[in-house]
Amino acid sequence: MEMKFDGEFSVAIPRQEAFELLSDPQKFAPLLPTFHSMEMKDEKTANLKVKVGIGRIYGVASTELTLEAAEAPLRAEYVGRGKVMGGAYNMIAAFDLEDAGDETLIRWSGETQIYGKVLSLAGGSMRGYAEAEINRLIGSLQLALSSEAEAAAILAARAAQPQGLWQKLLALLGLWSPPEVPVLASEPEPQEKPALRLLAKPPTRKVLKADEAPSTLGKIAAADSIEMDRKGSESWVGSPLRRKEDSRLVRGNGLFVDDLQTSDMLHLAMVRSPYAHARILSIDVSEAQALPGVITTLTGAEIAAVMEPYMQIGPEPGASIQDYPMAVDKAIYQGEPVVAVIAETPRIAADAAELVEVDYEVLEAVMSVEAAAEDKSILHPGSGTNKVWEGVYEYGDLDAAFAEAAHIVKIDRLHFHRFSSTPLETNGCVASWDNRGEIEFFSTNTFPTIGMQMMAPALGVSIDKIRCRSHDIGGSFGNKITSYPGMTIAALASRKVGGQQVKWIETRNENLLAGGHGGERTFLDTEVALDANGVITAVRSRHLDDCGAFPRYEPLGCVIWSQVLPGSLKVRNLRIDFRQYATNKCPAVPNRGYSRLQHLWFMERVLDICGHQLGIPTDEMRRRNYIDEFPYTTPNGCVYDSGDYHQMLDTAKALIGWDDWKEKQRQAREEGRWLGIGIGTTLDSGTNNFGQAQIVNPDAPFSGNSEVCTLKIDIDGSIVASLGTVPSGQGHETATAQVVADELGLGPDLVHVRPGTDTARNSHTGHSGTYASQFAVTGLGAVHGAAVKLKKEILRLGAHALQAEEEELEFGMGEMGAQLTVPGTEKAIPFMYLANIVNTNNAGLPDELDDVSLNVRYVFRPKFELPDLEKKYGNLTLTYAAQVHIAVVEVDKYTCQPRILGYAVVDDCGKQINPKIVEGQVHGATAHGIGAAIMENYLYDEGGNLMTSSFSDYTPITALNMPDLTCASQESPSPFTFNGAKGCGEGGGAPLHTISAAVQDALVAEGVIVGDTFNSATAIFELLHGKGSRSSVEHQSLAG
Amino acid sequence: MSETKPEFVEAVDIEITVNGKSYQRSVEPRMLLVEFLREELRLTGTHIGCDTSYCGACTIRLDGDAVKSCTLFAVQADGAKVATVEGLATEAGLHPLQKAFSEHHGLQCGYCTPGMLMSASALLDEIPNPSDKDIKKRIAGNVCRCTGYQNIIKSVHAAANELREA
Repeated sequence: MEMKFDGEFSVAIPRQEAFELLSDPQKFAPLLPTFHSMEMKDEKTANLKVKVGIGRIYGVASTELTLEAAEAPLRAEYVGRGKVMGGAYNMIAAFDLEDAGDETLIRWSGETQIYGKVLSLAGGSMRGYAEAEINRLIGSLQLALSSEAEAAAILAARAAQPQGLWQKLLALLGLWSPPEVPVLASEPEPQEKPALRLLAKPPTRKVLKADEAPSTLGKIAAADSIEMDRKGSESWVGSPLRRKEDSRLVRGNGLFVDDLQTSDMLHLAMVRSPYAHARILSIDVSEAQALPGVITTLTGAEIAAVMEPYMQIGPEPGASIQDYPMAVDKAIYQGEPVVAVIAETPRIAADAAELVEVDYEVLEAVMSVEAAAEDKSILHPGSGTNKVWEGVYEYGDLDAAFAEAAHIVKIDRLHFHRFSSTPLETNGCVASWDNRGEIEFFSTNTFPTIGMQMMAPALGVSIDKIRCRSHDIGGSFGNKITSYPGMTIAALASRKVGGQQVKWIETRNENLLAGGHGGERTFLDTEVALDANGVITAVRSRHLDDCGAFPRYEPLGCVIWSQVLPGSLKVRNLRIDFRQYATNKCPAVPNRGYSRLQHLWFMERVLDICGHQLGIPTDEMRRRNYIDEFPYTTPNGCVYDSGDYHQMLDTAKALIGWDDWKEKQRQAREEGRWLGIGIGTTLDSGTNNFGQAQIVNPDAPFSGNSEVCTLKIDIDGSIVASLGTVPSGQGHETATAQVVADELGLGPDLVHVRPGTDTARNSHTGHSGTYASQFAVTGLGAVHGAAVKLKKEILRLGAHALQAEEEELEFGMGEMGAQLTVPGTEKAIPFMYLANIVNTNNAGLPDELDDVSLNVRYVFRPKFELPDLEKKYGNLTLTYAAQVHIAVVEVDKYTCQPRILGYAVVDDCGKQINPKIVEGQVHGATAHGIGAAIMENYLYDEGGNLMTSSFSDYTPITALNMPDLTCASQESPSPFTFNGAKGCGEGGGAPLHTISAAVQDALVAEGVIVGDTFNSATAIFELLHGKGSRSSVEHQSLAG
Repeated sequence: MSETKPEFVEAVDIEITVNGKSYQRSVEPRMLLVEFLREELRLTGTHIGCDTSYCGACTIRLDGDAVKSCTLFAVQADGAKVATVEGLATEAGLHPLQKAFSEHHGLQCGYCTPGMLMSASALLDEIPNPSDKDIKKRIAGNVCRCTGYQNIIKSVHAAANELREA
């Protein structure tokens, strides 16, 4: 990788003086931001020591810096060579000096070449860091050439921050720690004991009162054990067990973030921007700070002074976006945090937030991708454009396919609206950053390892200084992956007050404004080629994705959709011109079916619109177009592992009573009623290959996938599993126990699975988390691997203890719980005694058992290759679960209200680990899709005001709106997973396709095209009455 | 902005019986009942999901009625008898609703569950043999984002059956 930079600056000293400094390595080298010490090798060459740090070990590395050319007083040129972890670099820097009156103009240019593995680790952020590094060097030069004293002071002050390209890089990798906790610069030291500030009335402090003491101690009983009946299944895996988690949750004994309360905990409330795009002119926190019970406040400027912007996953132009957790100079979406207030109670914090005065200058809001593309008003001055990413995905021979087409159908515009699954628990955390530099989060974040990879370099701490925990999480659906900005603010607030715990909990209004929205996408200029039989042969289209104000997890969505490039269709020729833009809306977050459901809806809509144009019924269109051979390699190299879409469609038709409804529809139409029947086929691609991130950004340091399970037999013989996943209701404790129970021959109630996550358990990798429909594969792959590994150790130790051969041993249950026996003899040893041997009673243990600890950690890695980045080709996901839905919808002629009269669902996620949990996931994903299709919409006005910012306006689906589902399952085991299972958590958004199709079918005689995913009564009214944007379709028949 | 500082009013003494036990507290008049339960009594089973009385995660029973405890001030419950999810199970074991929700997978993340259980318990006290529609109407004010309600309805029926047979 090669990077070039240049620029110029002026200094107020004569040229000769400037030259003398620049051409003397002894004077020049100490200006390098990473300078530690130097020795002159000869007159022109210095052996420099620069500082690097790896974890807690600090060291120095050598660099050779040579004055390559010096032409007094015109030019000085340096060459540097050095090595850094896993790579090397060369650098050339030249300075040309010109007289400019009393000043000297210095033109400089630099070139850096970097080699080796370090590149793939640092990824796309390298350029930004290099730039920052060079800016810092130039800054140092300017200072050195002006006032030595000032320069020295500033250089000394820098020591506490990660400096220089390599330290930045190490910080990015989480390998660098500052020597000590830096202190927030712009504010006075926090009060020594903030709690001493007295309230008008004493704060609510928790003291156990007599009436709270239980009247009796009660029995200490184990929690209800889960059933021991396999319910007809041959193994625990496959049995519809009730969940271990339920025991605490039905009692109200879950531990959600807001349930964590301590007596000295402080509470944080945000002041948020009321404007979508506005410059911050001034902030006055004095009244807020004066309110009794308020401890302190925190502004964006204070935060920006002590942290770096978060790493950007994408390349330029998006890579230049400066993403801080709070607005610094301007706010770019309604609800963006502007000030945080920290107080003794949540109520005082909220009161004080009202007292903060912020003056804004309102700027033009960019409220659509089309407007964003014009770049008239720019969100991120650093990147100079609203475009975040662009790329073309082209496969097959489009020209030939269109030349040979019997029909061409053109659709000018389709639109996928903004919604999210709005978990019932909002984002939040309890954060502390103590005076020992330890940061701890108890949070709702469901992918904390990526959050830590974002936060650690931004805060300049090593990743091990951050601990992330969760216990119970009230739903996430992907939304809670990007809660790290709020977590960062809470952590900095804690640091400012001296390390006390700070609790941040979003209100619902805040969650809807700023907690993250699912991605919105517009599909323009779609052209579809079909043969004479209605088989789609080619699709070309332009897709504009709206990621809101900040990309954050984006632009990964710019590739993730391509996991399902052809949807369920055989089409081989596709060209999608994909662009992503930033707008003044809430930042996009992954939302159940992330990025794929937009594309799947598009493909289904295309299929149905073509069917209508050609007069082919929707079921028949699918018959002709479905992929029917498995494994199937898609045009972009993804491999659909297994399935039978035709069978699913048959089953779904039988479930709904297809022929009956067709007859009822005929009658309804005679009566002039709008009754439609729609089919939706969808895919839930699971276990992603992070290598696809490199399609978006070749320097992104991600590929493959992994998950961890740590499994041990504890000192007393209990079996304990720790996962890397971060469940939010998916029953991971239960499924884990099922897998371990099968492997070790015991009941699942004997397996204790620790709830939630805790990075201090050392049971995670950088991929660990709950997202992308993969627990059944990666999560349970890790559990299975750990169980097998533990089993081997148990057998080795058991053979020694029982003086038997491993092959003779059998697992089973005895009087003292799980045990090993030698059948046909009286030899038996319970796990409890095995645990005793290794943990507390190991004298005499033979050398060959030294490695047996009965405490194993297993990392599961699905086998993935890096995709071909040039061709955007490769296997991006391991498994492809599928669903076929059929809905019958009647649209009321007067109110336009869509009413669902029947709804059938068929799902196939391969081998089901726990059919009860699978059924729950199918129901839940269906409810989200139906809610999104008819009720849930983030609607902004032109000025950027969110019109649906409470649950009274953004109306989540209720029991009364939810139709009764008729469901069936089939199992096409995945040939690519150890257990035949496929991920099934996301469901693929089938109701969006299905309801669009049904509404289209209902309104077909009205001559309108359903071109939007959102089909509420109002939306349908507007569609019928020509308000808002309408899709138009053109059909050219070329056959004959 | 001139003199708009909120004024702290004297605390008010209240007595509320929660799950059969009487509690006397001095609380700010603006403290919500849900805050009182969660913060003063540390009964954190009652959750907050929307702040606007839409989602029902905070549903408790107030003198027998299912009410949303984010819609009442604690002072309004002075002298009342409150039942929360923590009081459903007895020494004899789980309430039939709790058992049924687990048996029929009527919960996933568990955040809405306490409110859902309290609404359902009020329903079953009133209508021991509810229809689907009765159930849907009575839990329409309880949002669940995980289950799609199918198994919740099944769970309530199962609990109703058990209670009737008992």
